[in-house]
Amino acid sequence: MNKKIKRIFSHSEIYLFFIIIIFSIILTSINPSFLTLENLFDLIKSSAGMGILAVGFLIVLLSGGIDVSFTAIAIAGQYISANVLMATGVDNIYLAFLISCSVGILLGAINGLLISVFKLPTLIVTLGTLSAFHGALLAFVGTKAINTAELPDCFKVFGHNNIFVLTRADGTSYGLSVYALILLGVVIMSWLILKYTMLGRGIYAIGGNRDSAVRAGFNIVGIQFFIYCYVGFLAGIMGVMHISLLRYSNPMYIVGTELGVIAAVVLGGARITGGTGSIIGTLLGVVMISILEKNLVLMGLSSYWHQLFVGLIIIIGVSITSYQNKRRGIRSLTFR
Amino acid sequence: MAKELLEVKNISKAYTGVQALDSVSISIKRGEIHCLVGENGSGKSTLIKIIAGVVKADEGEIIINGRFYQNLHAIDSIREGIQVIYQDLSLFPNLSVAENISLNQMVERKSKLISWKDVTNTARTELKNIREKLDLGEKIEDISMASRQIVAICRALTQGAKLIIMDEPTSALTKTEIDSLFSVILDLKRKGISTLFISHKISEVLEISEKVTILRDGKKVGEYSIDELDNDKLIFLMTGKKIAYSRFKYKEKEHHEKMLLEVRGLSKRGNFENVNFKLRSGEILGIVGLLGSGRTELALSLFGLNKADSGEIYIDGKQVKINSTQDAVKLRISYLPEDRLSQGLFIEQSISNNIIITILRKILNRLRLISNIKRENSINKWSKELEIKTPSLEAAAQSLSGGNQQRVVLARWLATNPKVFILDCPTIGIDIASKSNIHSIIRDLANAGMGIILISDEIPEALQNCNRILVMSKGRIVKKINDASSITEDELFNIVGKKELNKVG
Repeated sequence: MNKKIKRIFSHSEIYLFFIIIIFSIILTSINPSFLTLENLFDLIKSSAGMGILAVGFLIVLLSGGIDVSFTAIAIAGQYISANVLMATGVDNIYLAFLISCSVGILLGAINGLLISVFKLPTLIVTLGTLSAFHGALLAFVGTKAINTAELPDCFKVFGHNNIFVLTRADGTSYGLSVYALILLGVVIMSWLILKYTMLGRGIYAIGGNRDSAVRAGFNIVGIQFFIYCYVGFLAGIMGVMHISLLRYSNPMYIVGTELGVIAAVVLGGARITGGTGSIIGTLLGVVMISILEKNLVLMGLSSYWHQLFVGLIIIIGVSITSYQNKRRGIRSLTFR
Repeated sequence: MAKELLEVKNISKAYTGVQALDSVSISIKRGEIHCLVGENGSGKSTLIKIIAGVVKADEGEIIINGRFYQNLHAIDSIREGIQVIYQDLSLFPNLSVAENISLNQMVERKSKLISWKDVTNTARTELKNIREKLDLGEKIEDISMASRQIVAICRALTQGAKLIIMDEPTSALTKTEIDSLFSVILDLKRKGISTLFISHKISEVLEISEKVTILRDGKKVGEYSIDELDNDKLIFLMTGKKIAYSRFKYKEKEHHEKMLLEVRGLSKRGNFENVNFKLRSGEILGIVGLLGSGRTELALSLFGLNKADSGEIYIDGKQVKINSTQDAVKLRISYLPEDRLSQGLFIEQSISNNIIITILRKILNRLRLISNIKRENSINKWSKELEIKTPSLEAAAQSLSGGNQQRVVLARWLATNPKVFILDCPTIGIDIASKSNIHSIIRDLANAGMGIILISDEIPEALQNCNRILVMSKGRIVKKINDASSITEDELFNIVGKKELNKVG
């Protein structure tokens, strides 16, 4: 029993959970409307997209890789699907998802091919494709923003869809967005893959020790290819959610938010060197980053502070991992 | 069923002109503990790889369980129950004990989904099978080397191992851990599982094996049952030469007993406590003790890598502080680390760059840039002095044999002209001929007036090469032997706490 409790506290998630609670209490004391159901629903809706990207990034990180191109994939999926719908006149959200996710998988497959078959370093490849994908989108598809009036109705309807609606005392209503359901679906699907399939265990295995994974007989090329396609697929979903939330599309959006997502995953306890991390932790990380972003103004700080915090979180997160490795090294008398 | 589990007949293998194996045969019976010994480059690893089906032999045949294989593939080898545990163990540090034991089996079975109940059950059964206890939920990175070894053995058993090949399994284990590993191997034997044990350490070979196959230069010297062998005979068969051992003698008068280093009451919590000793010019001071006795921790403290909590260090009679390696180098202390591959060498860099790395400051020209002439001179001087054998000094350090690699590390530190040279197991993993060569280099250095601290795993090495010996145990110096010639090998073994050597015959 004692051991069990010890193990729970050895997970960094539990600390993050407490930090979020304390932070929420502070925010509520500044602004009592923070801890309301309405605000919670709003938080879920606005951060669901980030959560989906974070789950994708976590999976890459678990395999010992890094992907920074997912934002370019998301905006490409979004912008291409919106343009196709407008050009063809088909006003169907399912088609939008189909196009956006297909674009996502295709671009993800390019990453996957370069990384798994040609064995190129993941950070460099995705830095390159981040720029290449975004550049290609702007050069070949266009740079013109799509305003709310032009935007096909299906996006706007989808963005307003609620699972259930509650009515306030004054007669106005609010609800829990369908985004929560999509996020839940992605989380469950990813969790099942990671925990209950050999593919998922292979992802952990590659991140833990690549050579051992090869010797154990894992299909490394196949697993890596899958990972980057899956991230592309998730980015495609996020692209449509994002446009439906904003009711507006600008091909310059989303790109540039990578670091926030990475910070959320690192904050959630995933090791930047691969092999370790959990979905629960990642979601808590997303919650923390989102609360921080939305409430800086409430705390009397300008929104530029967000950028500062994101940077600091990444550096501190990496430092902690490195410090832990060093302590392990001292125990075995290796000095790196 | 055939009595022989594995028969390898007249195997030959050449790599681009080099004959790695020349008509080698080996046969292993069910439940036999068989040792494969030979110096570096004798063809041991090639032979293992051929048995594992990873490398294809040019000639010869392999018969496993009575089945004949002309062309053995890795998958056939695994199906026949041959499991290799490589030196790095091939475990996943981020996964649990249970998963590490079970995962390979599931990959082999081509499972698509994972049943965590099966994972736990498999692990529990296998651990019970060899009567070991481990926490199934613990991550590999949090458990000891010895436990990791147990995990690797269990994993081999899940895949129906009939022969487990262990490649130098004891190099990172303490003596007690080695003992418990040996009891596991004996347990496996009782279950009819054979072990092919590859080791460098003569004492271990004599302790555990029933049969010994000796390779030299790719040829089989012979197969012996253990009672035909003793220490000297085994060394002779491995090296092909009688190596004459003479003891090191300290020449007091020549060096006027000049005190180089004195340590008073040095302590570091959890590492070592109240360490006192002196080192005079021209001495070779041995420090022996088991892994974890604090010997390496102490050496690292003297080199500024593991700052002591309290105590005093004197160099040439003056008290000094050694807080970093820079301090140590300034005081002309050098340290040759135990693990030359990860800590001693820049393995991918050229031999010449490895030699000059410590003296970059000394080979600058007037513009404070590296002078090519000075660089060449230093490199040539030291590579000649230490007889580093290589076709080119610009080749990567990893292309060298173990003995030559160690000479490169020695050269690098000698170039700094040290007063005190700490050598941490300088001959580990080095073949016997190179070993005696390195010993004679060390003696020459001492005779020239350097003060040397020789940390050693091997009692005979310490006895032959040191004039004084400190025995460490649990962080303390438990015995000071002021005249190494006054003590016999067996006596020293007993003090250090190792079991007596199984001297046969």
